[in-house]
Amino acid sequence: MKTQFAVLFGKAIFWLSRLLHFGGGSAAPGLYALNLDPNLVKKLSSSISTNIVITGTNGKTTTSRLLSHFAKTAGLQVIRNHTGSNMERGIASTLIQGNGDYDLGIWEMDEGAFNTVSSKLNPDVIVFLNVFRDQLDRYGEIDTVVSNWSESLKKVSLKTKVFINGDDASLDKLQKGFKGKVQKFGVKDYKIVGESLEHKKEKESLDFEAKNVRLRGLTGSSFKLSIVNCQLSIVLPLPGIYHIYDFLAAFAVGSTLGFDGKKMIKSLNSFSPAFGRVEKLDFGYIFLIKNPAGATQVFATITPELKKDDRILLALNDNLADGTDVSWIWDAEFERLQVTGNRLQIICSGTRADDLANRLKYAGFDPKHIAVESDLESALKKAKQGLKGKLFILPTYTALLKLQSILAESGIKNHYWKEED
Amino acid sequence: MKLTIGYLYGDLMNIYGDTGNIIALKKRALWRGIEVKVKVKSIKEKLKEKECDLFFFGGGQDQQQNIVAKDLKTKAKIIKSEVERGVPLLSICGGYQLLGEYYQPHKGPKLPGISLFPSYTVASYDRMIGNIVIESMFGKLVGFENHSGKTYLKEGGVPLGKVIKGFGNNGSDHTEGSIYKNAIGCYMHGSLLPKNPKLADWLIKKALEVKYQKEINLKPLDDTLELQAQYAAIKKFS
Repeated sequence: MKTQFAVLFGKAIFWLSRLLHFGGGSAAPGLYALNLDPNLVKKLSSSISTNIVITGTNGKTTTSRLLSHFAKTAGLQVIRNHTGSNMERGIASTLIQGNGDYDLGIWEMDEGAFNTVSSKLNPDVIVFLNVFRDQLDRYGEIDTVVSNWSESLKKVSLKTKVFINGDDASLDKLQKGFKGKVQKFGVKDYKIVGESLEHKKEKESLDFEAKNVRLRGLTGSSFKLSIVNCQLSIVLPLPGIYHIYDFLAAFAVGSTLGFDGKKMIKSLNSFSPAFGRVEKLDFGYIFLIKNPAGATQVFATITPELKKDDRILLALNDNLADGTDVSWIWDAEFERLQVTGNRLQIICSGTRADDLANRLKYAGFDPKHIAVESDLESALKKAKQGLKGKLFILPTYTALLKLQSILAESGIKNHYWKEED
Repeated sequence: MKLTIGYLYGDLMNIYGDTGNIIALKKRALWRGIEVKVKVKSIKEKLKEKECDLFFFGGGQDQQQNIVAKDLKTKAKIIKSEVERGVPLLSICGGYQLLGEYYQPHKGPKLPGISLFPSYTVASYDRMIGNIVIESMFGKLVGFENHSGKTYLKEGGVPLGKVIKGFGNNGSDHTEGSIYKNAIGCYMHGSLLPKNPKLADWLIKKALEVKYQKEINLKPLDDTLELQAQYAAIKKFS
């Protein structure tokens, strides 16, 4: 009775929130409903045949989206928190809005929320993508994040299948704590060292391994996937090494669930990235940046593609969801954005636009080419004015949300919550 | 002129943006035609007298901090005598704590420091997180603090400044940081120096003065962006 009432109440909040344009209703309904029934997530998720939990610092949304794409290709009914609202309230909101039977629940989960929420979903599969420094003010140090995960894993059923990024040495500890089956995925000769991905040859034992990687600019990459007795050729329509890990994780889980490997690979042709993750617009691209490792990977991916008439719009916010500490921009390698004979126009925006402009100066950019415009809407206007090349927009999380609504209001794209899952 | 920056345990103590301080020192010297070398002095590496003209010591994770605390004993004598000689030093968070007399964790014995600053730190269950603004001899300084250790200055200890917004050393006595000769300890990440160029230049000036034994007047730089970032942050948070 309590649960039913909580669900109804949550649904009402959801419709009100949409009606009054508060937002997409991706968190508030869950928050209120959880107040009425704290066991909501456990109760509602128990009717889903298989639940998958995906956590890690970077790549959660893309991995979930890929897996969901594979599952739908296999004809399954999928429920997932596709807006990226990945705390308990976001998961509760998704469950409340669900109707009908689902074969598969795909839950991307915040690194901190993992420890309290994952057990409520009684997951059949858990994926650990990576661990980087991110929002020290919220998550604490890397060591703390990993030891908390380790502790949580000890309480997980031994039947749970665990997948770990085998190139991330910080995650090794997880394997020691868990007695059940652990499988690893990774890229041959690559290792995650501190904040960055390095080419490093050492002995690896990976269950799902990418070899002979060829990066093809912004269009994606191609590589060979080596699994138990076979090797498959992959053309991934997502750029950069970091997306190969997301693919490997999604493919590994898909295989465990019995999806046909060839069909998964073929379905990549029709895959489109999540909002703000390598999103293509008529006049350029959007790449979410949110921590040093992720931002540096984005810089490495776009720099070779930058032409002299292109422009960059960076937007740094310091709201709670972004992390209130902007120190991280000094660990992100903005120096990498430098190209020879750089005369690139850069527009800095967001609540901490001035910090960004200063960071760029110290990364070697000429202050003459740096413009500061805190208001995102004006910044976008300025960036597009007289634009001859492409505009690369790199926002932090809440700046991305704002950007989405600016673009939606000007008719360029849909609101993110209306986007196809 | 040449400047050698000693980055103490730079491979282990470099948490969250503290490297930005090295970037700021390096660039601000280079922009003035001063040659810069950054030497990371880590575990088991011998530190020699007059090897470094300026020291930086950042914060680290707990585990790393324990390793560093043990090794620091072997470098204590040189660090202290160099500071006595006037060599400037900037330490932040964990580095600052280890340069005090001791750190008392929740459990277990005290972690001894090297007593450069007349201060001690006690672990607490309060997390002191947020933007911090202080008034100091360098004017207003702004940064971001994130610590649970509470640091107390003993008699004779001189704070770096008075807290206008934030917690500072311990959240109760309104002091932030410590200054002894040309050595500074504080809790301000942010990164601190890029947004507080006056402090960065003071460190460079002191380093060169001690090294070249003469008064140094640094060439002024165009600090429009630096001061804009500082002003915007101070305005937003105080």
